[in-house]
Amino acid sequence: MPTYELALMLRTMPKAELKTTLKRVSHHIFSRGGIIRNIENLGFRAMPYKTSAHGVVHREANYFVFKIDTPTRVVADLKEEYGRDVDIIRQRVYKATEETNTNCTLEKELLPPAYRKEVQNMIEEGKTQVNKFTYKFNYNSGLDYYPFQK
Amino acid sequence: MALLKTILTRHFLYTPRIVPTITRFTSTESNVVADEDAPVDMQNPFKKEQRQCILCQLKITPDYKNYRLLSQFQSPYSGRIYGRHITGLCKTKQLQVEAEIRKAQNCAYMPYFYKDKTFLKDPKLFDPENPIRSHRF
Ligand SMILES: [Zn+2]
Repeated sequence: MPTYELALMLRTMPKAELKTTLKRVSHHIFSRGGIIRNIENLGFRAMPYKTSAHGVVHREANYFVFKIDTPTRVVADLKEEYGRDVDIIRQRVYKATEETNTNCTLEKELLPPAYRKEVQNMIEEGKTQVNKFTYKFNYNSGLDYYPFQK
Repeated sequence: MALLKTILTRHFLYTPRIVPTITRFTSTESNVVADEDAPVDMQNPFKKEQRQCILCQLKITPDYKNYRLLSQFQSPYSGRIYGRHITGLCKTKQLQVEAEIRKAQNCAYMPYFYKDKTFLKDPKLFDPENPIRSHRF
């Protein structure tokens, strides 16, 4: 089961209602054989743009991020379920990213073009192509006429 | 005796090269003397330090939930993402930042066409007026 991040925006509502909504959301995950690793509350704040959902325009939202493990085929089902939920304004599912430690290649990228690997590859590739600017038609090609318009 | 003394002092004072007596535990004394002026095998002392982009330096992986950091790579006038020649990031980090900004905007954490006004006074990570390469914007 891969790890997903479910970003939810819930409509403005009192705390008790919010609690029941969160419970409902989690039960949908559990009933489909998923587990919740973590729930993050990013707080209640104004949205950067207004969003209309279920016939109402929302300008503020409660932001929550669920870190969940579910089978992949369940994700579409969950999205459909939450899409019908009136308390959820907007929902996005992303694959959780792991920390990657790659070496910085900035020094190599700041080299003059001739020393950069990708430029060298590009020049090599260009050598295998026909240069259409310097290409000249050979008259001794076996044809007794010039095949192109003059 | 006095003459000898003056000669000695003069000799020691005015000789351009004063070879200090080195006590080394080597069997062949002549070899050591020959090596004295030979070039020494060492690392290039003028080698510059490897430059790193700011995110690699601080070992930060951009994340869409950290929209405050991401908004620093956004233009305050148009909300557009600054390019690599302005941010000075390496290729991988720049791609990650762009992807995460897209995600954050899609999740309604971050606006598309402006920068959140509470983040306008955040410290500048780079100077958009002085890009590495010239650009037409
Ligand atoms: Zn880097």
